Amino acid sequence: MIYLEYAVFQRALLGCIFIGLLGGLIGVFVVKMRLSTIGYSMSHSAFAGAALGVALSIDPLITAIIFSAATAVFIGPAADKARLPVDTITSIAFSLNMALAFIFLTFSPQIGLSSEVASVLWGSIVSITNRDLVYLIALCSVTLALIYLFWKELFTIMFDRRMAEADGINTKPFIYFMIFLTGIVVALSLKLVGGLLVYALLFNPSSSALQYLHDMRKIIFLSPIIGAASCIAGFFTSLFLDIPVGSCIALISTLIFAFSVIFSPKRRRRWKNEG
Amino acid sequence: MTPIIELKDVSTVYEGERRPAIRDINLTLERGEFAYVIGPNAAGKTTLLETINGLLPIFKGRIQVLNLDVKRYGRKVRCQIGYVPQDFMVDPGEPYTALDVVLMGRYGNIGVIGRPSREDKERAIEAMRLLEIEDLANKPIGKLSGGQQQKVMIARAIAKEPKILLLDEPFSNLDPESRDKISKLIAQISGENNLTTIIVTHDLHQIVDSCSRTIVMNSGRIIADCEPRKALAIIEKWNLSDFRRRNG
Repeated sequence: MIYLEYAVFQRALLGCIFIGLLGGLIGVFVVKMRLSTIGYSMSHSAFAGAALGVALSIDPLITAIIFSAATAVFIGPAADKARLPVDTITSIAFSLNMALAFIFLTFSPQIGLSSEVASVLWGSIVSITNRDLVYLIALCSVTLALIYLFWKELFTIMFDRRMAEADGINTKPFIYFMIFLTGIVVALSLKLVGGLLVYALLFNPSSSALQYLHDMRKIIFLSPIIGAASCIAGFFTSLFLDIPVGSCIALISTLIFAFSVIFSPKRRRRWKNEG
Repeated sequence: MTPIIELKDVSTVYEGERRPAIRDINLTLERGEFAYVIGPNAAGKTTLLETINGLLPIFKGRIQVLNLDVKRYGRKVRCQIGYVPQDFMVDPGEPYTALDVVLMGRYGNIGVIGRPSREDKERAIEAMRLLEIEDLANKPIGKLSGGQQQKVMIARAIAKEPKILLLDEPFSNLDPESRDKISKLIAQISGENNLTTIIVTHDLHQIVDSCSRTIVMNSGRIIADCEPRKALAIIEKWNLSDFRRRNG
């Protein structure tokens, strides 16, 4: 554990924990509100934004947040306006963002896969700064406060959006809010996990947590724990094997998901009943 | 008397379709009225209910519910309507208990940020008790049978303490005994609370026993609005074959 004596690794570990918690938490809403393609779209818009930052030699975090926020603000109303499912609009935004990302990376003044370009593509442990940590802690606090305040509405929309509408809940602002929040979380996670794998943090922990429990309130706690555990395990694996941290996190969270599917108590009970 | 539900020349078109699902509907229901809507498949029965509660936007005409324009005040109107959708089935892994789902019925009236009170929970449990499903309160809803899930959705509508009940085939998954029992219970709750109630059904025996008004729909239009026995005669006359097949 000699690594943890260095501030850069301490920061990275803390960053991993907060990113894992946030991804796991937001992921539950993304999965249960059936906004999965938004996760992909957001991660790639942040990726395109970060690539623009690298091309213009400005902080990629700022451009990633701007791109994510712009995509988030655009997707919901565009889907409503075009009278198309949100998934269709996100698929279009996804291809647009990927195209932009590769064009921006082509214009990057740095040669080949320099550390900054590589960090945008598949993440880097050493890239987390003190400022990133402050942003992550602030985002964690704001997200928890908003989820606590609007829990009743979010809980009902996650069950069934149409029934929530039938009960008199205005679902649109909550859906837009969740899309926007996803964009910001993705932008802040990008440095660590990388633009190509960041959505693993949204889907894998929440999908794993859903395999174990029948109570949404408990899932909301379990999913961030799985997210943080995946990130911590990915962090150490990356250090010891000297491979990209984003890939390690994605692999470990996928393994946890596979384990959860195979050993899910829910599934076992169902098989027993069917048997 | 003031009408509680009033539709004037209302037509509703689904997105991407040219032909209205319901057309030129004129319908008035007063406080405490109890009506069944019958008709063959694709007659527009579900569309009619979803148009009344504002879930589907109207293409033409005007709807007033509780003296409010549904187009403008849809959300406010829906807070006063207990709605049971057709064939609502839940995924077996859905992480909600039956009580969670019944309690959700009250959320629209609590207001944003507000929390459900002890009274809200008591009302939800009371509604479950009326439907004899209080022992299922803490069971995951996905683990319940189709009939039990349907009772949960009816309890959700009743727990809301609405002024209007819109129930779309609420008895389709119930056994005949439960069907009779719950049908009587709904009639009793409607009567005691003076609720305006519309039930969509395929069950012709039901309507003769328990209502005073029957609305017959076919091809998106109301073809009759009369007392039950007359409605049955119309169904016979119009030879609504699909409808007759379903009722054997």
